[in-house]
Amino acid sequence: MSWDVLGHEWAAAMLRGHLAGGQARHAYLFTGARGVGRRTLALRFAQAINCTQPPEPGEPCGACRACVQTARMQYTDLAILQPENPGAPVKIDAVRELTRTLVLAPYESSHRVALLLDFQNANTNAQNALLKTLEEAPPKVILLLTAESGEQLLPTIVSRCEVLLLRPLPLARLQDELVSRWQIAPGEAALLAHLASGRVGTALGLHQQPELLQQRQAALDDLAALLPANRIQRFAYADKMTNLQNKTGEERERIRLRLRDTLIQWLGWWRDVMISASGESDALINIDRRAEIETAAAHLPAGAGLAMTRALQDVLEGMDSNLNLRLLLEVLMLDLPVIELSVTDPAL
Amino acid sequence: MSQALYRKWRPNQWEQVVGQDHIIHTLRNAVKSGKVGHAYLFAGPRGTGKTTTARLLAKAFNCTAEDLATRPCNQCENCETINKGRHLDLIEIDAASNTSVDDVRELREKINFSPSQGAYKVYIIDEVHMLSTAAFNALLKTLEEPPPHAIFILATTEMHKIPATVLSRCQRHEFRRIPVNEIKGYLKTLCEQEKIQVDDEALVTIARQATGSMRDAISLLDQLASTGEKITLGYAQTILGTATNQSVIDLVSAILEQDSAAGLQRLHTALDAGTEPRQFARQVVDYLRGLLLIHLEAIDQLDVPEDTRKMMVTHGSAYPLPGLMLALSEFNRAAADPRSAWQPALTLEIALANAIANLDRSATVVKDDEPAPAPAAPRAMKDNKSQSPAQPTSSTPAHAKVEPPPVAKPAPEVQPVETTTPVEPASRMDEEAPEPAGVRSDGAEAKGHNQVSLMDIDRAWAQIHEIIKRKRNQTAGLLNSCRRLAIKDGALVLGFATEVVRSKMETPENINITRAAIHEVLGITIDIVCIVAGKAGNLPANLDIDRDGMIGTALNMGGRIIDKE
Repeated sequence: MSWDVLGHEWAAAMLRGHLAGGQARHAYLFTGARGVGRRTLALRFAQAINCTQPPEPGEPCGACRACVQTARMQYTDLAILQPENPGAPVKIDAVRELTRTLVLAPYESSHRVALLLDFQNANTNAQNALLKTLEEAPPKVILLLTAESGEQLLPTIVSRCEVLLLRPLPLARLQDELVSRWQIAPGEAALLAHLASGRVGTALGLHQQPELLQQRQAALDDLAALLPANRIQRFAYADKMTNLQNKTGEERERIRLRLRDTLIQWLGWWRDVMISASGESDALINIDRRAEIETAAAHLPAGAGLAMTRALQDVLEGMDSNLNLRLLLEVLMLDLPVIELSVTDPAL
Repeated sequence: MSQALYRKWRPNQWEQVVGQDHIIHTLRNAVKSGKVGHAYLFAGPRGTGKTTTARLLAKAFNCTAEDLATRPCNQCENCETINKGRHLDLIEIDAASNTSVDDVRELREKINFSPSQGAYKVYIIDEVHMLSTAAFNALLKTLEEPPPHAIFILATTEMHKIPATVLSRCQRHEFRRIPVNEIKGYLKTLCEQEKIQVDDEALVTIARQATGSMRDAISLLDQLASTGEKITLGYAQTILGTATNQSVIDLVSAILEQDSAAGLQRLHTALDAGTEPRQFARQVVDYLRGLLLIHLEAIDQLDVPEDTRKMMVTHGSAYPLPGLMLALSEFNRAAADPRSAWQPALTLEIALANAIANLDRSATVVKDDEPAPAPAAPRAMKDNKSQSPAQPTSSTPAHAKVEPPPVAKPAPEVQPVETTTPVEPASRMDEEAPEPAGVRSDGAEAKGHNQVSLMDIDRAWAQIHEIIKRKRNQTAGLLNSCRRLAIKDGALVLGFATEVVRSKMETPENINITRAAIHEVLGITIDIVCIVAGKAGNLPANLDIDRDGMIGTALNMGGRIIDKE
């Protein structure tokens, strides 16, 4: 088994070089968009560090106990620090606990590896508490951090790590890989590659969970139905989507997430309208809805795509800062232009 | 495991500290003349040498070399143990992990013991901004008058978090960012000693990327050098995720030509080649900042190669200042925006679109003959033009300037004659179609005709009503049951619940009294039209309410118009 990290061959080559040459650093930071493969690469690196029978220097075998357990994130010398729930903050106590255990020698392998996932979720205190350990880690300790971007961390954290900026794959390449590696039909592969914007993890997630694709279709159908609708129908929709009455906390959260997903799909759609309106029609995300998008781009005033993209971004931001869902959606409904998507000739 | 280069190359002599001459000079002189302060505070951005200088200073104070000027000598026992990190009297405290008041109290208990190995006990408190307020306060007395054998060196990146009482007890030294040239020079000597082969251009890229922090620069170099091969510019760009200078220049050219298709294409080409979106945004910001410097006539501050400078001057003179400022903040936002999860490139695309849309927003000239470089962007506009030839000018400025917010109606239908062409009031009265611009337009129009709006009348209504009451009580009574609906074509529209009341009101006498009262209060003559408003939702068509507009919808849902502004 080799590194096998799609699209990050340069990073794998570099990390392999570090291990093979005995030059591994004490801290690495993997940044990149969600689903791009940060954790996969970090885990693979952890495997390579502690593999008991590497086929070649710097290569994980994937079969020994250390490799298998590392892949499951259950290895004794692999300390993992991640938010308890997705999006929940990492607290200072967790970091302190981690730094305390890192001082101890590894149980069985050559290095103790600490994996700090989504460290952008750590609050300022927690990040500060890691600084000294990160700068001069105890011997035999390697810290691996992942984050969406360096900007979300303290600059002092970033400057202490070797930063690996993981980027999405070019779409054509991802499409080919999806077809050849995972035997996905070319048509679907093209759509997945575009929807994921080149992020392998996201594309595979969509493939393995067809209901996500269905939700996407439903969200875009809703949008298509709302565009020609009048305000009463739109408000009825907003009411339906955000009816929180007599719901438990869990149900409310589900409603929130569903609305969020819907809005993210809409954002992609409007982004496509914006792109299409500026004449660069090759770069669409929702390629299966090209006709719809081009109609909208042709019939709306030039800035509408941009304005709606902005509006949706603001609404999403509002959702994240816990504003009233219904109010947000209703305001969005008022911003939404009225347009008949099926009509081809606007003069009619 | 080998040590990271930045740890291996941590300076252990004064001469090796780069770019902080003002501080090193002062401290060396202090050591030379044997003037030992009891508390120092080192502040400055990351990677500029605070911890390093703190250790150097501690070493110099404890060095046993005969000649004060040669301290630290790096030869005596004290120097060596400090270099190896096991001197007993150099106590380095991580204030970020030991933030509490108890940690400080513990320190206070131990500080009174005399040093066991050197002449001074040196406490380096790193990341000191993280101490809690109570901890800071507990430290105050000790910091002001520590025992003669104790020295404090506080180091922080965030001086604004340090209480003033602490600041005033310390000798303060502020570290500055290290200029690109000095970083580059240091990296070069480092490469020679480490036998790393590297292109000059790649070094510049690294030095720029480090934004004034030596640790960042050395880390990057370390990362790039790890393969053992020569570091070329191309390789550096792959690893760092930076775009070529040319792609940034091309993008700015596209913005200046208002060619959004080409701009997006260049953007996507760069991203497909492996450029990291934020990184790209940062590079664009860097370039635009150069243009701004040109605008501000600070061209000598530009730190770029000659050919880029020429390009910048061309671009700079072509770019209007307000548009430039906007583009700068747009791209800056794209570089710092944490909302990248949904679509990594989205913020960049938005920034580009906005920069193009607002390129010359200050310009008032209508660019009618502008060649349409983006085939589709003006397409929608052209469609409009072909449909409504009656108003050839109105759509063009919108194209050159800021876009209007999305209209609540389909664009094609919006444009026909009504909104822009003035129509005779008489002909408007029997117009059936609701006005597209909605209710808001009537206020504005009324102003044009009468210099009064419904709001003015509403404000004065109590007064008007009073006057009418004095003249004829019955009229006032009738008016009690009416609603002031709108000002339409120079006439005040009063709505009554039933036909009976309306006909009673609509006698010349009543109307005249009311008109006179309005004239008396507001000084204007206004016609009065009485209608039956009936139930809500059943509004007469000649009221300017767009049935599908906001108010129409609200009425359909059971709303009632209570007041109108």
